[in-house]
Amino acid sequence: KSCQTGKISTAENAVQSHTSRDAGVQTDQSKAAVQDFQQEVQVDYASLLSFLQRVEDAVIKELNRNWKSRAFDGFEVNWTDQNETVLCLHTLSYPKAQDQNLQVTSVSWNATGSVVACSYGRLDGGDWSTEKSYVCTWNLDRRGLNPERPDLVVDVPSSVMCLAFHPSQPSVIAGGLFSGELVVWDTSRTEDSVIWRTGMTDDTHTDPVYQVNWLPDSKHRNHSRLLSVSTDGKILVWREARDGRLALAEGFAVVAQQVPRSTQLKKFACGEAAVGVTSLSFSHFDPRVFVVGVEGGYSLKCSTAAETPALHQTGSSVPLRAPAELAFSPHGGPVYSVSCSPFHRNLFLTCGTDGQVHLHSMLQTQPLISLQLSKKYLFCVRWSPVRPLVFAAASGEGNCNKCFCLGDVHLFDFEKSSQKPALSIKQAAGEHPVYCLEFNIKQTRLLAAGDAAGTVKVWQLSSDFTEQGPREMNHLEQLASEITD
Amino acid sequence: GIPIRTTLDNSTTVQYAGLLHQLTMKARSTVRDIDPQNDLTFLRIRSKKHEIMVAPDKDYLLIVIQNPCE
Repeated sequence: KSCQTGKISTAENAVQSHTSRDAGVQTDQSKAAVQDFQQEVQVDYASLLSFLQRVEDAVIKELNRNWKSRAFDGFEVNWTDQNETVLCLHTLSYPKAQDQNLQVTSVSWNATGSVVACSYGRLDGGDWSTEKSYVCTWNLDRRGLNPERPDLVVDVPSSVMCLAFHPSQPSVIAGGLFSGELVVWDTSRTEDSVIWRTGMTDDTHTDPVYQVNWLPDSKHRNHSRLLSVSTDGKILVWREARDGRLALAEGFAVVAQQVPRSTQLKKFACGEAAVGVTSLSFSHFDPRVFVVGVEGGYSLKCSTAAETPALHQTGSSVPLRAPAELAFSPHGGPVYSVSCSPFHRNLFLTCGTDGQVHLHSMLQTQPLISLQLSKKYLFCVRWSPVRPLVFAAASGEGNCNKCFCLGDVHLFDFEKSSQKPALSIKQAAGEHPVYCLEFNIKQTRLLAAGDAAGTVKVWQLSSDFTEQGPREMNHLEQLASEITD
Repeated sequence: GIPIRTTLDNSTTVQYAGLLHQLTMKARSTVRDIDPQNDLTFLRIRSKKHEIMVAPDKDYLLIVIQNPCE
């Protein structure tokens, strides 16, 4: 027998599209919509009860077995390739600024994590400087990234001391100047990129602005407010007004006399002296609580809900209030940076020119742990956004005659050791301190650090700095609860 | 799935209910594809931070999240 299929008919055919159109899609911020699920559900409670009675025993048995089970002890799974080394991915610089001996004063990552911006200025400029400075941005995800040519350079007539990208609009960035002004740029504009500025009014800071933060505005979901911190003792909150001007919405002034004293703090400037505020960090858990670090070496716990008017009012349009609630034990030198933990509501770090990092709990004045990280000044400290027990500190300068004063980035891991850094990275050959560093919240392996030589290095961290271990939160809770008084 | 009772907050509950319902259906069809006489009785997912247990039924789903103390 044989089998044969009949002839299959075929035909040639061709298709071609002859018109095309480009279309772009971009997602907007989604509005968080949480449904109320108790609405129209018809529940048959009798059958629900019988279901629960049926499964109750099995579930409780499993729960009990889990408490006692040792089956998974020490069992860990690696989903990603373990990367053991720390690499320097990019070394970014702007040669024109380097020729003018400008230093990187601040770095910031944008909302999407692909653009890093840095500000050039001078941190050792002395009392007054009329130097021009630059704000440069690089898009690291772009092909053909040229590390010596920033994607955007903004000329600024005064030294920019600090930068902050907007938390949700990827092209908006705010900067604080040496002159005390604040400027907001929109990097997507090709023409004049300045969109808001404070100008020089009676409300403006009289000292350099050392830190600028974006605050979510509770009333208008899409608008944010800007907060600026300066050594004139004022912490000001600005809102967007007409004509591209920023107007003062509310403000705080830290005055020596109004700082709550505890028995352990003895030395204080007397009278109505303003206390120079150098840094600020908001709590991630309570939006009204923030911690500031001051030139006097101590840190203060403050609240935006404070009501008492400040003693030191210099005719600003909005009455200033005294925010301080608690003063913490001081460092041996000015505090340059504070950082609140994103994982625990009471923990925060402070670092100062005495080379120490203090881990504080908001519940007591003495630090939980004091670490002498180096003999050099510490300029910046930041908690890791993914690992609750890890933080990074930037150091440099200082009076050590014997050792090489190289700028370092120290990575500290409480899980490995509570005495010394897990890793110290040398940023650059030569004696250039590292002034600022920022973790990238979206691409959690990246850490940007800017130094006095005018370069920004983007470091890729090894996986042990980016993957959370199973017991970390417990360890953190344990650290936080070692309160003595 | 539509959540009926919960001890967590709304948004987390809705997330867990939707995702675990789909996973339970997939697990059930996996068991039955291998052996049509078999059926899913219990589903446990162990992760780095906790263990999720699902007790399935024709009309209902009970989801328990436990933090196993090692």
